[in-house]
Amino acid sequence: MLAKWKLKEVVLMALFSVVFGIVYLLFLHVGNIWAGFIGPIAYEWIFGIWFIVSIICMYIIRKPGAAVISETIAAAIEVLLGNAVGPRLILSGLIQGLGAEAAFAATGYKRFTLPVLMLAGVGSSIFSFAYGYLLGGFSVFHPGYVMLMLGIRIASGALIAGVGGKFVVDGLLATGSLRGYPIARAVKGDARA
Amino acid sequence: MKQALHKMNPSVKFLIITVCMLTLAFFFNPWTPLICWGGVILLQLCFSTIDWKKWLLFMIPFLIMSFGYFWTTIVFAEDRTGAVVWSVFQYDITRTQLDHALSLSFRVLAFAGLSLLFAFTTDPTKFILSLMQQLKLSPKIAYSILVGYQFLPVMKEEFVHIQQAHRLRGAVRDRNAIVRLWNVRRLLLPMLAGAVRKAERSAFAMEARGFTGEKRVEFYQVVRVGKNDVVMSALFIFILAAGCAITLK
Repeated sequence: MLAKWKLKEVVLMALFSVVFGIVYLLFLHVGNIWAGFIGPIAYEWIFGIWFIVSIICMYIIRKPGAAVISETIAAAIEVLLGNAVGPRLILSGLIQGLGAEAAFAATGYKRFTLPVLMLAGVGSSIFSFAYGYLLGGFSVFHPGYVMLMLGIRIASGALIAGVGGKFVVDGLLATGSLRGYPIARAVKGDARA
Repeated sequence: MKQALHKMNPSVKFLIITVCMLTLAFFFNPWTPLICWGGVILLQLCFSTIDWKKWLLFMIPFLIMSFGYFWTTIVFAEDRTGAVVWSVFQYDITRTQLDHALSLSFRVLAFAGLSLLFAFTTDPTKFILSLMQQLKLSPKIAYSILVGYQFLPVMKEEFVHIQQAHRLRGAVRDRNAIVRLWNVRRLLLPMLAGAVRKAERSAFAMEARGFTGEKRVEFYQVVRVGKNDVVMSALFIFILAAGCAITLK
């Protein structure tokens, strides 16, 4: 899978994963404490934050695997930094990344418009929810409550990860530091790097 | 002996802890997770030299979280069968409800215990090297993660610098913690632009020194699997089995 990748793309992905690993950890602590007061639904509003790195990396690098690998590395960084959810987080990262990857794969890695990015966020939401359903033991909750959680998570994935991810990368593209990456080549009229 | 958990192969530890967690997900009685939590703490008491003060500090958010699980499970429970054991404000709590609620909150604690065990007894660099050597992680990715990990202190510094720069130019620091968290987005863009440049430079440096990212069989720093891993894994499995066995009666 990595044979076609340039080394600088791999390193970029790893570095972004490190940056977002820290952001994720920050939100994990906030979410944990919040969850203590209003229960597991506390996470759902901000869940999209945890999908953002896969969308950002895929939007920049545009190669199969960018979503799933980056999300997994970000999770690994959270584990390395000594978070308290533990190694299990790597598995959730992998599953979230697969959700986003599925959306990009469905479009053949050709289209990276806003709806596709939002779809990737939704994909992550659905995949991670299925995993959370099993591991968090959501089956003991009332189905209505579970549906509400799923609905909020999907909205959060589409808005925070999809729209937010595009917003961040477009801002970054404007600074000119992304020259030499596939995203810059895709933008019409840009200099070939 | 005191170092056995620290000396355990990180990949083996990682796999065994993941297996424990996935198994726990299938039990809905309060005893299985409680026994596992206790067992994990006992393991750490016997075979590790961790800082217990720090451990306790990390455990606090999980105690709060497990309380959150406890009361939401009671209020939003689906299964309301069984004898009533407790009445609060004319709201009856049944045996099943209480069991499920206790089970979920103990599960949070058991997961937290396992995770803290991993985090406190594993050296990050060794973990990545072991992933590459035992679990066949691509060297391209493994070394890239290590590069990213090495940049952490630099990025932390940069984070402070950008914050200071913003303040110099008159950006006010908000009192409200949530607003302050929201304002982190202003720091994100400069941080990421810096990360892009660092990535490019280190990739060139790695290539200049002959790094191709090919699979290899020989390593400078070798991480091994040994007898210690077998013994420790057996102990983990024993705790898990003891927890599961209690449901059989």
